[in-house]
Amino acid sequence: MFRIVNATGGYGKTVIIRDVSIAVDKAEIVALLGRNGVGKSTLMRFAMALIPALSGHVEIDGRNAPEAPAKRAKAGVGYVPQGRYVFPRMTVTENIGVAAETNGHSGRLAVETALREFPMLRPKADDLAGGLSGGQQQVLALARALATKPKILLLDEPTEGVQPSIIDEMAGILKRINRERGVAILVAEQDLDFCLSIATRAYVMEKGSVQLETDRESLRTDKKLQQQLLGV
Amino acid sequence: MELDYLATVLLSSLSSASILLIATIGLAVVFGLMGVINLAHGEFLMIGAYAALTATQYGIPFVIAIPIAIAVTMTIGAVVEVLIIRRLYGRLFDTMLATWGLSIAFYQLAVLIFGTVTPGIGMPQFNLRIGNYSLAGYPLLMIAVAAVATVFVYVLMTRTVYGMKARAAIQMPEMARAIGIESARVNTLTFAIGCGLAGFAGAVLLPIVPATPSMGFAFVIKAFLTVVVAGPVTLTGSALTAVGLGGGASVTASFLTSVAGDAFFFLITAFLLWLYPLGITAKWRTKM
Ligand SMILES: Nc1ncnc2c1ncn2[C@@H]1O[C@H](COP(=O)(O)OP(=O)(O)O)[C@@H](O)[C@H]1O
Ligand SMILES: [Mg+2]
Repeated sequence: MFRIVNATGGYGKTVIIRDVSIAVDKAEIVALLGRNGVGKSTLMRFAMALIPALSGHVEIDGRNAPEAPAKRAKAGVGYVPQGRYVFPRMTVTENIGVAAETNGHSGRLAVETALREFPMLRPKADDLAGGLSGGQQQVLALARALATKPKILLLDEPTEGVQPSIIDEMAGILKRINRERGVAILVAEQDLDFCLSIATRAYVMEKGSVQLETDRESLRTDKKLQQQLLGV
Repeated sequence: MELDYLATVLLSSLSSASILLIATIGLAVVFGLMGVINLAHGEFLMIGAYAALTATQYGIPFVIAIPIAIAVTMTIGAVVEVLIIRRLYGRLFDTMLATWGLSIAFYQLAVLIFGTVTPGIGMPQFNLRIGNYSLAGYPLLMIAVAAVATVFVYVLMTRTVYGMKARAAIQMPEMARAIGIESARVNTLTFAIGCGLAGFAGAVLLPIVPATPSMGFAFVIKAFLTVVVAGPVTLTGSALTAVGLGGGASVTASFLTSVAGDAFFFLITAFLLWLYPLGITAKWRTKM
């Protein structure tokens, strides 16, 4: 359903990821694992067309994805960047509303749905997003991406700097969204437990390339692999 | 001191403050919202004034000349954004240099086309009597115009989908693209709207401030100071600052001299900036 094919790219002349291929099936949850600095975020930015492709391309439903990020978003790719990046001087409601309206959905309905799905945002609905806590901003960035009604959700380290209780809640919500709406998810993570709790398959990256593709069971049981690739 | 005199001073000061606010709103959008220091803002005002003047010389009624001036300045603004400004977002100094050059070019062009003296269009004749005093009606009408223009921009930026996109696209252009907003196109429109508001100011103030190639200069310094003192909550802040500074300066000028009025304006501005280096609204938790 969603494929990154032979992705090579980076920043300026520095190539960071080389020849990376990844596939996510319809309604599948796939993890992208790897230590800090191996190029997970760079791959996500490649997938969203936020960095130019030196070579390689992205496919959605078997067709080449549009080259501009805004068009790619409209083609069904939702993106939650590492480090949140909510619109700071807009309210929580506006952050969600603008994402929905831009993609031709009702902003009011999207906000209602989001506040139902993420009750922790409810008391903050009219606050500026820049004033929320890290965990709240992370949840808002997720709610904003969902408001675009994506076919595939790209999550870049959603648990970073988020307290454990919220991480559990997030895992539950992601599984439910995946089950109920059939949204496919590609999640870059360093938190192995979080990935094991939601993903059924994983790619492990090292130095800008995919080192290995594995399923949940072997990842769970193979302690040596965990040690070697993630340092856990 | 008589009550009618006091009322007259207050009304005409509020009217001066409103004129300042009308000249500032475009900057509140371009500088306050987009962070672009457009040193050619005053020249857009001048272009608006000449566009309206030229239209009336062709026999077009003044009320229709105003939207024509808006259209002309919006179009020029859009072209300037595409050719120059969009390459320079976030590069304050380069933007200032580029727009400074632009302002000189516009000024010289105006001198070439229109010469340095141009006929005024005459004030629409209606007056307001307060006790023993009589005030020209048109400048007083500017109080309502300023209020309507401020509310219009506020509603446009906070209550419409375009307004949300405009703020998202300038706050985080890349993230905005990643949720489907065509940031580049939206930013062009926002800059054009800012220029259109300057053109509106030049046109609507034409009966009070005749069109001259250098008219922009008279407004641009006070307009800039107003927006800088206003700070991040740019529109509400500008309205408050224009009324406080512009109004205060005008009251001072009526009781003392016009030099004292200007002294009041610049001293209070310096004091406010010393007190609030990031603008009076730096700590406000509201959006516009
Ligand atoms: N904006 C950037 N400009 C230049 N180099 C970058 C930039 N962002 C990341 N890098 C480099 O790219 C490499 C991979 O980074 P990243 O993709 O963020 O890894 P990960 O997400 O796996 O931690 C790192 O060496 C990092 O220094
Ligand atoms: Mg990363």
